[in-house]
Amino acid sequence: MIAALFEGVLRHGLALLVVLFAALLAAPYIVNSYLLAILIIILYYAYVGQAWNIMMGFAGQLSLGHALYVGLGAYTAAALFVKFGLSPWIGMLAAIPVAMTAGAIIGFLAFRFRVGGVYFAILTIAFAEFARVGFDHFTWVGGSSGFFLPVANYTTSDLWTLRGRPVMFYYLILTMVVIAFVLCRILLRSRIGTFWLAIREDEEAARAIGIDTFRYKMYAVVLSAGMTSLAGVFFAFYYNNLFPEQVFNIARSIELILAPIIGGIGTLFGPILGAFLLTGLSETMHAILQGLGVDVPGAKQVFYGLCLLFVVMALPDGVWPWVARKLGLGGRKP
Amino acid sequence: MNRKSNSSTARVSRRAVAAGLGAAGILAGTSPFNILRAQGAALKVGSLLPRSGFQAGIGQDCQRGVDITNGILKELGYRELQIMNADTESNVDNARAQAEKLISEGAQLLMGAFDSGQSTAIAQVAEQKGIPYVINIAAAPPITEQGYKFVFRNFPIAPVILGDAFVNQKEIFAATGSAPKTVAFLHVNDTFGTAMKNGIGGIMPKHNMPFTIAETISYDPAARDLSVEVAKAKATGAEALLVVSRLNDAILLTRELVKQRWSPMAILSMGPGWYEDQYLKTLGKLSDGPLSFVPWYDPNKKVAKMLEAALAKASPGVNMNTNHVYTFEALLVAADAYKRAGSTDPKALADAIRTTNIIDNVSPGPGIMFNEKGQNDKLKNSAIQNRDGKLVTVAPKEAANAKVEWPLKPYDKR
Repeated sequence: MIAALFEGVLRHGLALLVVLFAALLAAPYIVNSYLLAILIIILYYAYVGQAWNIMMGFAGQLSLGHALYVGLGAYTAAALFVKFGLSPWIGMLAAIPVAMTAGAIIGFLAFRFRVGGVYFAILTIAFAEFARVGFDHFTWVGGSSGFFLPVANYTTSDLWTLRGRPVMFYYLILTMVVIAFVLCRILLRSRIGTFWLAIREDEEAARAIGIDTFRYKMYAVVLSAGMTSLAGVFFAFYYNNLFPEQVFNIARSIELILAPIIGGIGTLFGPILGAFLLTGLSETMHAILQGLGVDVPGAKQVFYGLCLLFVVMALPDGVWPWVARKLGLGGRKP
Repeated sequence: MNRKSNSSTARVSRRAVAAGLGAAGILAGTSPFNILRAQGAALKVGSLLPRSGFQAGIGQDCQRGVDITNGILKELGYRELQIMNADTESNVDNARAQAEKLISEGAQLLMGAFDSGQSTAIAQVAEQKGIPYVINIAAAPPITEQGYKFVFRNFPIAPVILGDAFVNQKEIFAATGSAPKTVAFLHVNDTFGTAMKNGIGGIMPKHNMPFTIAETISYDPAARDLSVEVAKAKATGAEALLVVSRLNDAILLTRELVKQRWSPMAILSMGPGWYEDQYLKTLGKLSDGPLSFVPWYDPNKKVAKMLEAALAKASPGVNMNTNHVYTFEALLVAADAYKRAGSTDPKALADAIRTTNIIDNVSPGPGIMFNEKGQNDKLKNSAIQNRDGKLVTVAPKEAANAKVEWPLKPYDKR
């Protein structure tokens, strides 16, 4: 099984993967708490990016409303914890079907009525907006005044209730990234992955050769929604407060998809590299400007935007395919 | 290099012991000077504000309060603070990361962050690291309900803001001997507007107000035309307008009132918009009259006058407002705690903040003091009125500097 997972991976690629994984495992013992907080953000975006990549990168369905699934996961687990004292792990078991159901409804409406491309994207935005407005009025979970999880100064970490120090959250999100990566690798090498790629490349042709495109697109949406909801659970228990305006916001949806777009849509390493690049670039900009004594609000974002523009123009397939080619790891999009 | 150091730790010579003892003696001898130096150094305060992103305007306004603080602290006999600025980018993720960064760079106290979500994220970091955190502006009650030891808030919580608004309205009605019997309630349907609407619905009945709400009319924050909404409000026959708005819609509503020749008895605003500089500048004479019920400042207090003068010098044409006042006061709390603690030790600072009793302050009420939860529950809110491009405080009486102009001067007679 494990051998099959690494089948086709070049030896030096494997070595790089091991080094990266070891570095990430050791990071909490090496970096300070600020860098640990940054690494948590990076891994969070890498995970959500990977989940979104299933839908867009593999199956070719553009979602611009993935904040919906984050929010549903976050609110479901947080409400079960606060109102009924249920562990977030049980909350996850509830969050996944809730998000999957929402994904299934969107997918069914879109695919049944042949809504595709940008129209499908607009539909996903619309549902995220419905959720935002709905949760603004859903006073059982605080409505627009926000929903707060009880917090305290934790000296130890309790994995069962996810109450604890940042290092626990770091290893949790690292585990999620690894599992998502492995799952995507398995999926890509399976029949379903092949069907998704066929749909992505040419849906008409895929249908012509007998692929049930409706079913496989639904699988992609539902799986992506379920995975994304787990990021929501993480978000709720790490930040401990939820505001519909922040959680379901369209800007949040855009943030979630930037990593795979920059890293390389449809690639396994794209979301991870993209997350490292985006957050790393952002923090580097900040450090440079601070070093130069520049304290102009928004200057960082302007530089950040210019760099993104450069990446998008110079490397339209994303950064990972280019890096992979340079490292002799292939680098073709699956 | 490593081998050398390893060998030296493995075999300790008498000479090394003597040198070590000598060094220890020098350290012991000079340590009192070190303590003095620590006391002499400025307190490093990490200021976390949303200076970019969707809250940028407010964050930059708060920053004006930060920028004028040191001069006033000096005049009040406090040590200047070493401000370390950080931008939360109006984002909860970044707020948390920036708090971590400031602490890792040596911040001994944190201040900010205008928004409840961002403030909650920062509070967790501060509590975990044992670094005192003074919230300047954030109204969600749960922040100080968590049993935190290092988190303090000198800003009224949302139910107090709403409750005080009704108390001040009744004071105005009593002073003028006139009150509307019905109001039309117009509110923006964004997160803030919806929260206020729900809050008003819950709190208003407890205050036995003389008016009833004839109709509640909501509108989109991005609306470019509010003629229908104003016509609808006018058609209810309401005597006054109760509004929860933002800046743009406040301007649109006023223009519609003028166009539709409707001058209600009063415009009672429960949020921003109607008192903002841009509103006053854009509408000129037409901006006069609306009453806003907000966390404000006591214009009669000495420090308020100092703050006003400093702001006028640093940012001419900018009226002093909530953002400047409460940001300044958060830093005042820090400077006062440092002065009394005589140390930058976080625990000593937190203990000093807990026993804060600043009477020479800016906000209305008896002063700055914190309850066992770290909340200043003695704060009062004000009613302010636009008058000739300026803002005057008309209630509560003890924090007022003008009498209310009542009723609203008709728009066609200005």
